Amino acid sequence: MDWGRVKFFLGEVARSFTRNTLMQITAIGTVAMTLMLLGAFLYVRTTLADLGNGMLAQIEISAYLEPNVTPHQINALRAAFKVDPRISSAEFVPKSEGLKELRARMRGIIDTSLLTENPLPDKFRIRVRAPQLVPAVAKDVARLSGIQRVLYGQQVVTRLLQLGEVLRRVGMALIALFLVVAGIIISNTTRLAVYARRREIGIMHLVGATNAYIRMPFIVEGLVVGILGAVAAIVLLVAAHAMFWPRILEALPFVRFNTAVVDVPSLILQLFLVGAIIGSAAAWVAVGRYLQT
Amino acid sequence: MISLRGVSLLYPNGVRALDHVSLEIGKGEFVFLVGHSGTGKSSLLRLLYREALPSSGDITVDGIRVNRLPSRRVPALRRHLGVVFQDFKLLADKTVWENVAFAMQVTGAPTKDILRQVPRALDLVGLSHRSRMYPDELSGGEQQRTAIARALVNNPKILLCDEPTGNLDPANTTEIVDLLLRINLKGTTVVVATHNQAVVDRMRRRVVRLENGKVVTDKERGYYYLGLGQGQVLSG
Repeated sequence: MDWGRVKFFLGEVARSFTRNTLMQITAIGTVAMTLMLLGAFLYVRTTLADLGNGMLAQIEISAYLEPNVTPHQINALRAAFKVDPRISSAEFVPKSEGLKELRARMRGIIDTSLLTENPLPDKFRIRVRAPQLVPAVAKDVARLSGIQRVLYGQQVVTRLLQLGEVLRRVGMALIALFLVVAGIIISNTTRLAVYARRREIGIMHLVGATNAYIRMPFIVEGLVVGILGAVAAIVLLVAAHAMFWPRILEALPFVRFNTAVVDVPSLILQLFLVGAIIGSAAAWVAVGRYLQT
Repeated sequence: MISLRGVSLLYPNGVRALDHVSLEIGKGEFVFLVGHSGTGKSSLLRLLYREALPSSGDITVDGIRVNRLPSRRVPALRRHLGVVFQDFKLLADKTVWENVAFAMQVTGAPTKDILRQVPRALDLVGLSHRSRMYPDELSGGEQQRTAIARALVNNPKILLCDEPTGNLDPANTTEIVDLLLRINLKGTTVVVATHNQAVVDRMRRRVVRLENGKVVTDKERGYYYLGLGQGQVLSG
């Protein structure tokens, strides 16, 4: 290791960095804001997705059988459900059982003693492995022989799925926008740094420095901006979480958030990487564009 | 060492800076390029260190076909050349030592080479005692000597000088020209573009005269105005 070279290189980066302090702080601030938004969004999204999945997981498909279905057909259906990889469980509920359940559910609401006859058909109670699969499975089950009708919370399921999708897209668009803004600001900072050092760069070219060598300090500078922005964002997010999250939980006691599903170390790592990548990539693009070679 | 064959340089604005220039400069030669401002002296030098590309013709420098050189190889060419300018092109926030070392540091030279060669270059130009000073603490001649030390620190075979004495008084001019001569005597090929008549006439070296982008005279042991008395101007 040639320490003289390392020292020279770091000296060049440090000199360039301190020459434009105000602009660098702006860039770091922008990265920090962007990453805070990204971090908060990912945190909330994971929590909400878990909440949504919890609701969707309770959804079951009721496949009602035709009144004159044979035991043979029931067995065939049972077998068909068993081999379908999307279906996690299929439970046969005979009509007597169904009536018992109905009575239990309606107790106190209506007078169940009025139910003297059993109006219910036999049914299968089907659960699927992922909520997204519910509509497709329901459709397939309806086609099987012996099935009269398939019911599930059609509207609830499709609405929830749609809502989740819309939220995801809006969030992603916002974050993409912020990342672009952060990139542009870092690019501009790099451009200023290149401009401030144009004499040196000219001399470097003249004495035979390679383009890669000339660009390196600027890219390292961008990388440092990205990393500092990420660190600031992580610190602020952790602080904000400690301050505000308990109050949010307190304000919404009926919503059962499960924050344990958020993988915090991985989230921090992601923010850190995004910061480093956006910083160095924006600087890389900027030196490529503004450094005449 | 340097060879130009039918070289023309046409700027995008239509100005023909060089017009079918052919020129051979041998190893260890000392050559003055003379002519009025705007006759193509600087353009010719710029072609040699590949700051510009010719519109047509072939240029060879130290065995490298410069006009065919891909951009990524340009740094390698420049390490074989030292270039000195009228305005010195020193970095104001670096000392003499750092300015000279800069030329090695940015080419990724090992520290031990830098520690060996920088003192040698400073000694050659007689600035060892000024190594800790900044450019604005030096005289014009000393600044130019710093620039020459920087140009020489990588031991180039060729030294190109574009009006090296243009900003200097007569005393400093003499000092710089003597230094260039000493460098030439050590075996470095030196090409000096100048319009300083006194220098050219005192030195009596090869003189290549450019006019309107063409070589009009090329004479060993020449004068600034070939075959004419001082003060007379060749027309054209």
